[in-house]
Amino acid sequence: MSLAISASEYIDGVKNGTLTAEEFVAKTLDQISKYDGSLHAFLSLNEKALEQARQIDKKIKSGQKIGALYGLPVSIKDNICIKGGRTTCASKMLENYIAPYDATVVTRLTSQDAVIIGKTNLDEFAMGVATEFSAFGPSKNPWNQDCVPGGSSGGAAVSVAAMECVAALGSDTGGSVRNPASFCSVVGLKPTYGLVSRYGLVSYANSIEQIGPMGRKVEDVALILNHIAGKDPHDNTTIDNKNEDYLKGIDSGVQGKKIGIIKEMSKGQGLDKNVEAAFWRAVSQFEKLGAKIEEISLDMVEYTVATYYVLTTAEAGSNLSRYDNIRYGYDLDLEGYEFKSYIAKARKNFGPEVTRRMILGGFVPSAGFAGKYLLKALKVKSKLKKQIQTAFQKCDFLISPTVPVLPFKFGEKIDDPLAMYLADINTVTANLTGVPAISIPFEIHNGLPIGIQIHANMLQEKQLIQAAYALQGTTRLPEVPL
Amino acid sequence: MSRLVTKEDIEHVAKLMKIDVDNIDEYYERVQKILNYFDSLDKADIESEEIPVQETTIGELREDKYIPFDARLIDQLKNYKGAFVRAPKMN
Repeated sequence: MSLAISASEYIDGVKNGTLTAEEFVAKTLDQISKYDGSLHAFLSLNEKALEQARQIDKKIKSGQKIGALYGLPVSIKDNICIKGGRTTCASKMLENYIAPYDATVVTRLTSQDAVIIGKTNLDEFAMGVATEFSAFGPSKNPWNQDCVPGGSSGGAAVSVAAMECVAALGSDTGGSVRNPASFCSVVGLKPTYGLVSRYGLVSYANSIEQIGPMGRKVEDVALILNHIAGKDPHDNTTIDNKNEDYLKGIDSGVQGKKIGIIKEMSKGQGLDKNVEAAFWRAVSQFEKLGAKIEEISLDMVEYTVATYYVLTTAEAGSNLSRYDNIRYGYDLDLEGYEFKSYIAKARKNFGPEVTRRMILGGFVPSAGFAGKYLLKALKVKSKLKKQIQTAFQKCDFLISPTVPVLPFKFGEKIDDPLAMYLADINTVTANLTGVPAISIPFEIHNGLPIGIQIHANMLQEKQLIQAAYALQGTTRLPEVPL
Repeated sequence: MSRLVTKEDIEHVAKLMKIDVDNIDEYYERVQKILNYFDSLDKADIESEEIPVQETTIGELREDKYIPFDARLIDQLKNYKGAFVRAPKMN
């Protein structure tokens, strides 16, 4: 039995009795114990996973009603709450925090009999592009362990790439699902803002972040989306998707569709030559599939990284102010401090990137600087949204490389936050405008993965998944070298 | 490079955000660099742009109703004794 199967192959196998949930979950746990010591995708494992799988097999055998996921092993990013389990956000500040409730996405997956295999590593509070800023040590890229897996959902991408689970949930604030998906050669989707409930996701920048599914195949991501999307009374920003089936008609293709190449993302400074060449090969694949290609311009893209960091640091400064070490936190002697200095001392447990963003988050909305930074960022966001809506009047999809560079080595960019921030340049547009975007593995160059990103208009996930599936059909990628 | 932000500004903001910073120089250089990068927003052609205001009608909001939470929420409080939470001394 191979672990390298798709979710639907797994489900079919369990349904027709060629495999059991217990043996598959046991094999998955073996894979984790074999490889996770060096890859470090997981921060904690579900100790009851095997027992839960056993119960699912029992239910199947006795003919009881069974959920649609049949014990499928799924990993959850450790900034998404699971009742009774640790939710650390890869921060010392939440090292011992036990969530008292399940996130809606978790409830929805487990109610369909998914088995949560464990919680995955991330950049502290999801702030980063390399999973280097985890307080518990970085995750490693299974394609080349000297390289970063991308971030901030690096652990999630590694867990899927290394076959330590079939699918994963990450969170995407500026590209945090798509960036590691691209670096680890898996599929990652950032849904339309509001399509998936954020209830139970620890907030970093709530006006733009979304929970998104990851998998080795486009169809797996569609399947997970089927179960997590839709209105949630706990999250007032959620949208009703009327039980859309994202798998139905997945092979519809892109014949006659219009695909726009975003000029500002597909050429120019900072774009690696190899990534650029792979991107143009993807464009010609789309042409062969019958799509019409045209170049479009979104000139606001030049300002998106600055805009993104202005808006997210402002929101992070506010969202992270709840960490006062009184309600959550670690043991710190209560005696001998004045109130403010107690909190300031407690917050020393934040890592350098979180501290940096909190300081920036204090600046940008402050009286002297709001007009200079925050208001301008909001205006760029508004104009970008109009530009992308205009583009979608002409095109069905917009495409670009997911990340302009190949996976880089550990430590290479950690001392230069700006160089690191620019890795987000192609992904932040989807977050700032709320449209869905997906990253699909396309090539492996010198052992390092390259992903292609497709955007669609608001709530056009179904068409987006069809286009991604069509591109996936043109690729034949090697197995991860474990 | 514009020097709009002084070291004192950074110290002041860190204090307002209630963060103890050991080596302010390290943060000063990096925060300054990022703020300078934010200055690129000055070049964006957005003068005529209006900032959209999100409006939600009262009917769309959830009912203002008390929903009791799982009692285990209280387990998360540190230094919880009986009906009290012990917090650091205020002055």
